Amino acid sequence: MSHLNIDSMSTVDNPSERLEFLQGTLEVLILRSLRPGPNHAYGISQFLKQQSDQEFIVDNGSLYPALQRLLQRGWVTAGWKTSPNARRAKYYRLTPPGRKQLVAATSKWRRFVEAMARVLAPEV
Amino acid sequence: MREWWSKIRAMLLGRHGVSDDLAEELDAHLELEIQECVAQGMSLEEARETARRHFGNITLIHEDANQVWAFPSFENCVKDLLYACRMLRKNPGFALAAILTLGLGIGGNTAMFTVIRAVLLKPLEYRQPDRLVRVSVDVPRLNRHDVGFTLDRFEAIRPAAQSFAELGAFFVATENMTLSGNGAQPQALNGARVSHDFLQILGVEPIVGRGFLAEEDRRGGPAVAMISAQLWRNRFNGDPQVIGKTATLNAVPHIIIGVLPAGFQFPSPDVDVWVTRPVEFSAVPPQAWSITPILIGLGRLKPRVSLEQARAEMEVLGRQYGSSHPADAEPIMRTALLSRQLVEKVRSMLWILFGAVGLVLLAACANVASLLLARATARSSEFAVRSALGAARSRLIRQLLAESLLLVLAGGIAGVLLAKWIVAAIVNFSALNLPRAQEIHVDAAVLGFSAALSIATGVLFGLFPALQASRPNVADMLRAHGEGRASNRPVALGFSARGLLVVGQVALSIMLLIGAALLMRTLLHLYSLGPGFPADHLLTMQIALPPARYDTGQKLLAFYEQLVQRVETVPGVRGATVSLSVPLSAKWAIAIQAVGQEQMPVHERMQVQLQSVMPGYFRTLKIPLRRGRAFTERDDALNAPPVAMINENLARRLWPAYPNGVDPVGRHLRIGADQTSGGLEMVGIAGDVRESGLVQDAAPELYLPSSLYRPQRAALIVRTDADPERFAGAIRNQVLSIDRDQPVTAVKTMEELLETSVGQQRITLLLLGVFAGIAVLLAVVGLFGVISYSVAQRTREVGIRRALGAQQSDILRLIVGQGIVLTIAGVAIGMGGAFAFTRVMKGLLFGVTATDPATFAEAAGLFVLIAFAASYLPARRATRIDPLAALR
Repeated sequence: MSHLNIDSMSTVDNPSERLEFLQGTLEVLILRSLRPGPNHAYGISQFLKQQSDQEFIVDNGSLYPALQRLLQRGWVTAGWKTSPNARRAKYYRLTPPGRKQLVAATSKWRRFVEAMARVLAPEV
Repeated sequence: MREWWSKIRAMLLGRHGVSDDLAEELDAHLELEIQECVAQGMSLEEARETARRHFGNITLIHEDANQVWAFPSFENCVKDLLYACRMLRKNPGFALAAILTLGLGIGGNTAMFTVIRAVLLKPLEYRQPDRLVRVSVDVPRLNRHDVGFTLDRFEAIRPAAQSFAELGAFFVATENMTLSGNGAQPQALNGARVSHDFLQILGVEPIVGRGFLAEEDRRGGPAVAMISAQLWRNRFNGDPQVIGKTATLNAVPHIIIGVLPAGFQFPSPDVDVWVTRPVEFSAVPPQAWSITPILIGLGRLKPRVSLEQARAEMEVLGRQYGSSHPADAEPIMRTALLSRQLVEKVRSMLWILFGAVGLVLLAACANVASLLLARATARSSEFAVRSALGAARSRLIRQLLAESLLLVLAGGIAGVLLAKWIVAAIVNFSALNLPRAQEIHVDAAVLGFSAALSIATGVLFGLFPALQASRPNVADMLRAHGEGRASNRPVALGFSARGLLVVGQVALSIMLLIGAALLMRTLLHLYSLGPGFPADHLLTMQIALPPARYDTGQKLLAFYEQLVQRVETVPGVRGATVSLSVPLSAKWAIAIQAVGQEQMPVHERMQVQLQSVMPGYFRTLKIPLRRGRAFTERDDALNAPPVAMINENLARRLWPAYPNGVDPVGRHLRIGADQTSGGLEMVGIAGDVRESGLVQDAAPELYLPSSLYRPQRAALIVRTDADPERFAGAIRNQVLSIDRDQPVTAVKTMEELLETSVGQQRITLLLLGVFAGIAVLLAVVGLFGVISYSVAQRTREVGIRRALGAQQSDILRLIVGQGIVLTIAGVAIGMGGAFAFTRVMKGLLFGVTATDPATFAEAAGLFVLIAFAASYLPARRATRIDPLAALR
């Protein structure tokens, strides 16, 4: 099983497969994971894992600093809430600027992927 | 932007909130994962372990997330500085030594910068000062430079000059004036004579009243005066009604028309009163006003006219004037910026001192660098451990630089305090007569300079040791338990880093030492020459008799004769006399011609110094008489045959074979424009006197009896049998008892005048001497440190040598030799540097060349001796090493 690495702090056992990610990739993924509704850190990493078909295993050492950065920029807010299974957890919620940022980053990301695909496309 | 803002807010509100919240969140997260694992069917223990393993290093995650809120470089800086503080507090001796050394270096430089900025760099406080020009003349044949010209010349040139928007003139010196009347004590004032337009040219407005009008500048015009702000405050209580009042100057009533701003210092500082008609100097008879060369031009360049254009025009106009005035054809026009002219005399001296103090700072840097290296060596195991634990080299360098910065900060503060003191000392050194002295202050610009200098210094002395020490060989260092060799490994030419610093320090101090020694020789030379008479126990003072009250030669002569008689009755006075000028500051010249030699037109005749004296002059000053006789009372009698005396220098000029060949005594001289009379009989030849101060060789000189040349202003010279200063009051009383309106000024002992005439040499020597002393001390401390350290390091080696049979003397030679090698390398470099740089001192040196081999050899020899002593002490310690103890 191979999975993409988000950060060098990851505990992956094959360092030769490390990939350089565009800066801010993890932040975009977190914003995207909050679009359906507020979620806590564990929920966010679970979401990313499931949505990416186990390709993205987000390490907590990367997830928490990324969340702090998003708080700093005002793209998310955080508050304590009780989870459905009666546990207290800190829930992150998208703010309007965060939503705007997600839209902008998504379209930028699409352009990037399309451009990459065009360049990498097999010659016919 | 927003990020910064929230970071700063987080910092101000404290980061603990974020931190606690985060810890709680991480706990909750872990709980969720444990729950998940339990839900998958694990036992609680198992679930806890799996979750924790999966979760990662909680502490690290906490720190990383927290770090997002930090300013890492800033906070590291603060940490570095706090750590540096702790390190310095732990080593107060080291810190104190380093701070004092740096304080000396920075203080000296700050002080010299303060002086140079005010005197040389700051523009004058006039409108567009870089457009102000001063016009004077050179007379190369008489070796006179930058001297005044005649009114005839000025009036011929001024209407023709196209380069100036305005061109005025002023009297080359200041005049002693007497302010009297209103029943108050007569007050001696310093008076300037300027043309009416001087304020327009300078661009200065009076604070009260008005400036001069053109009609007040004409011969016979109304007598008006402007006064200084200081005189206005002290004598007139700052009363604005002073305008229109009458002040009696030199017994002539003048109407006060204006007050000049405080700090105004044209044509020189300490002027109290300004009057117009610059040529009407009271010592010059009216018929000679238009031909006496006492004027200096002051002009403002027209826009877009360069100094060079003005200079060229002045030269052309000067030549044109000369071709139509053969008697006044010799002087060559000299045109320079006013600002430059003002400071011409002290410019090179100030730059020399600035250069010297720069060398001191370099030496101080080398010293502190050496101290830091020694400390870095002691701390090498600390660095090794830190670097083994993953500290980057840049982090170690930053740490060391923080310590340097802290040192230099403290040193800078000490330096500024020291600078204030040094500046006051330089400004108060009256013999220097520093121009613009009252503008010298430690101000914001100076503080900025010392701050920049401190930082540069910190990097300079801190970087070298930091680079050295931050490269520890970790494995070696840890194995050797910290007995590292960081500072002793050769870095260049077989010298260790500290050795190289010592070589540099020795070189710097040799350069300063040679500079100081050259000046010392100059001064010894000048003092050994002496003024031409014994200068001790002589008191001098100036008396200017106002022409309005003393309008005939008889009145003048009667006053002087009475004065000498009365002063000689004062107990303790050995003799008194009156002369035209005080020796060492003669200003007067006259054309002469020996009767019987080829007759020349007046303007080609020899110009000689003129001194007019009362009969007791040579006896009172103890000027030796070489031939013939001195003047007697009979020479002053009515209808006495006219006589003169000359000095030996003039005798040689007239009769080159003197003292052989023709005897000048009994021959005749014509003076001034006299072409036909029988002339004056030369009755005696006196020894040479240095009339222009010790730094000028004696010039040809003519003495006339006072009855032939009756001075309106004269010097009273008194020889006493005790400390001459104690007689000032008694002598002043004698003057007042003859004329109660007559002040005396410039009361000085002859020795003071002598010191003043070598003032530049003295202060330069004083400061250079102090600088050299500091540099030598620093070098010796550095050398001593290096040798002591090396002895400590070589204990085992010395032990082995002793065990193998080396004598104490062998060990001594080994260790001392090491010091001598360092010293000789430094001395060689320093002598090279001195050879290259001492020639800038040429203008200050007399009787010794800038590269005088004896001086160089002495300085080198002295230093090698000092170095020997500095290495001998540690070497002695090495000889006492017990081989058994050292090898065990």
